[in-house]
Amino acid sequence: MQLKKPIGASLAAATCGLLGALPAAPAAAQEVGDWDIDSSLLLYGEDNDRVKDVSLDIAIHRALDEDRSFNLNFTVDSLTGATPNGAAPTNEPQTFTGASSGKSYTVPAGEVPLDPSFLDTRIAGSANWQQGFGEASRWNVGLTFSDEYDYSHIGANARLEHDFNLKNTTVYLGVAYGQDEINPVGGAPVPLTPLPGPSDTPGGEGEGEGEDDGGGGGPSQSKDVTDLLVGVTQILSRRSLLELSFSYGRSSGYLNDPYKILSVVDPVTGLPAYTDQFPGALGIRSFLYLYENRPDSRSKQSAFAEWRYAFDRDSMAVNFRYMTDDWGVRSETAEARYRWNINDRSYLEPNLRYYTQTAADFYHTVLFIDRPVPQFASADYRLADLDAYTVGFKYGHLTDRGEFSVRLEYYKQEGTPSPGSAVGELANHELILPMQAVIAQFGYRFKF
Amino acid sequence: MGSPCELLVETKDEALALRVARFAAHEARRIDGKFSRYRHDSLVHAINSSHGRPTSVDDETARLIDYGEALWKLSERRFDLTSGLLRQAWNFDEGPVAAHPKKIPALLDHIGWQRVTWEPPTLTLPEGMEIDLGGIGKEYAVDRVADWVITETDEPVLVNFGGDLRCTGRPPANGAWHVGIESIELAGEAAGRIKLGAGALATSGDAKRHIEIDGVRHGHIFDARTGWPVRGAPRSITVAAPTCSQAGSYSTLAMLQGEGAEAFLQSEGVRYWLLR
Repeated sequence: MQLKKPIGASLAAATCGLLGALPAAPAAAQEVGDWDIDSSLLLYGEDNDRVKDVSLDIAIHRALDEDRSFNLNFTVDSLTGATPNGAAPTNEPQTFTGASSGKSYTVPAGEVPLDPSFLDTRIAGSANWQQGFGEASRWNVGLTFSDEYDYSHIGANARLEHDFNLKNTTVYLGVAYGQDEINPVGGAPVPLTPLPGPSDTPGGEGEGEGEDDGGGGGPSQSKDVTDLLVGVTQILSRRSLLELSFSYGRSSGYLNDPYKILSVVDPVTGLPAYTDQFPGALGIRSFLYLYENRPDSRSKQSAFAEWRYAFDRDSMAVNFRYMTDDWGVRSETAEARYRWNINDRSYLEPNLRYYTQTAADFYHTVLFIDRPVPQFASADYRLADLDAYTVGFKYGHLTDRGEFSVRLEYYKQEGTPSPGSAVGELANHELILPMQAVIAQFGYRFKF
Repeated sequence: MGSPCELLVETKDEALALRVARFAAHEARRIDGKFSRYRHDSLVHAINSSHGRPTSVDDETARLIDYGEALWKLSERRFDLTSGLLRQAWNFDEGPVAAHPKKIPALLDHIGWQRVTWEPPTLTLPEGMEIDLGGIGKEYAVDRVADWVITETDEPVLVNFGGDLRCTGRPPANGAWHVGIESIELAGEAAGRIKLGAGALATSGDAKRHIEIDGVRHGHIFDARTGWPVRGAPRSITVAAPTCSQAGSYSTLAMLQGEGAEAFLQSEGVRYWLLR
């Protein structure tokens, strides 16, 4: 049956006779890889030796056929550095019991207290399955988890999409549920009670770093989070697209940051009050700080709109998000991106983002000793009146092997203390430290 | 061509895209009209109605006939430009088996390139015989268009006539054309997608239709020596080669090897995807 010898040369000669000449190049054909790998390394650094994060992320997408695909995502984060503990600066050095380490640290006079012992490694992952049904619908279900030494999360999500109007309109509906468990170092503190003084810290200095024996504090805490999302994507013309979405989210359970405290100060001098001025406080007389307390539920609503436009060569997108919650926080985010396609293989995408939020109702830069302790109070700057700007760009280069990208961003954040907090000595200090951060991300995306 | 013909041009030059598309459409219609067996005004129809008289053919037809003759030799007479008569014994439109096997011996008397006198540019076809250039005409049309496009532009262009295709110019922006091939399966996957950076792909066979005769699966291509579809042929074969004509010939000749299709393709050292 088998032909006697390879026919390649004879066939090439015959084809040459048919066509006159043959292309010099051989054929280049291979299977398209169905594994799509998107990997990135993110470096994040805040100024003043605050938080540094090194994050490695790998996203795997695999299409099984036109209708079915799955995604797997793994992230490892390593966070180090210092974070504001919530206390206000004063004209004397202040000594605190390290929240996440159990070690004491002293902050020089006049400086915003930063807890230097912040150190964490986080791993996170997710798995999603997407499948089409009917001609125009898809569903997607997934599981998420993350774990770090004092916090763990598991969650599930589902999303349904449907195309109408010759696929010019897509409507989607999503729901996500998550359960988080918080195991603060040394147990969850009793809210609005004094931080133990440096010398009467249970299991104080000398304890192993990051070890949580659960002694002294409350049991582990939990919260659950439910999010609902509904949205529509509408193609407006050959060049433009509009996406609108609304979401509702509700968290309930333990929403405190167990490591955040508030300074209690004299309403006239602005100097720290002392533990013996606080009813029922025990131990050696020292500056008075209280553990924060937040409501045990939070409901958020947000609306999002994005408009994308394609020029002949380039494209751009602008979006806006409005969020409001029952803690009194209202935020607005506006963002614009422009993708400049330099040539067939490279692009440069500058972006700008502006964020502003109002303070939570219970945000207090400091508490005053002459007033009753409020039911809820936090001095976490992330709940203050804040403005933030991001400016950056992403450069991407396509090669035959994949796409390389570099993203560089500069971030600046400024908080405003709660009204009336800059009394006496406090007027001499910056109560919320402005923060600047640089983000560098290196990405490589390829198929195999 | 009896199938959708498509041209993909990656360019910002609209005039170029239109020019290339117009040429492709014109060339496809011209070749179809000239070599179609079904059209009464075609050259092939004139040859097949010659009743044993010598017919003089133009240079292009002569080159196609030469090519068909070469395939006849290379396939050791399995491929034959005169095998089209077998459609009188086999009717694929009416289901897997709708044959009149008793007709085959009589038909074989009128099949076989050895009976033809081919002295370019004169072809003498004995009375009762006919030739069919359709089997090689489609790939030829793809190559004709591709060769013209190369002289016109270096922009990436993909010429796709009914799934037989060839790309020209530099690779497109994402590095290669992603071609979905319906009738092949890549290892464990439902739909085969191939990245084509240069050259051509051609497919023989049909993954969806089987021909079973007395419980034995047969291919869709006839062995001109026996008048029967090839026993043990793969359902479909896709081959990559520098030109569409070569790719098409490899896939057809491999199909004609039946059980030996893989061994043939391996010994030829070509890139192929095969579905059994």
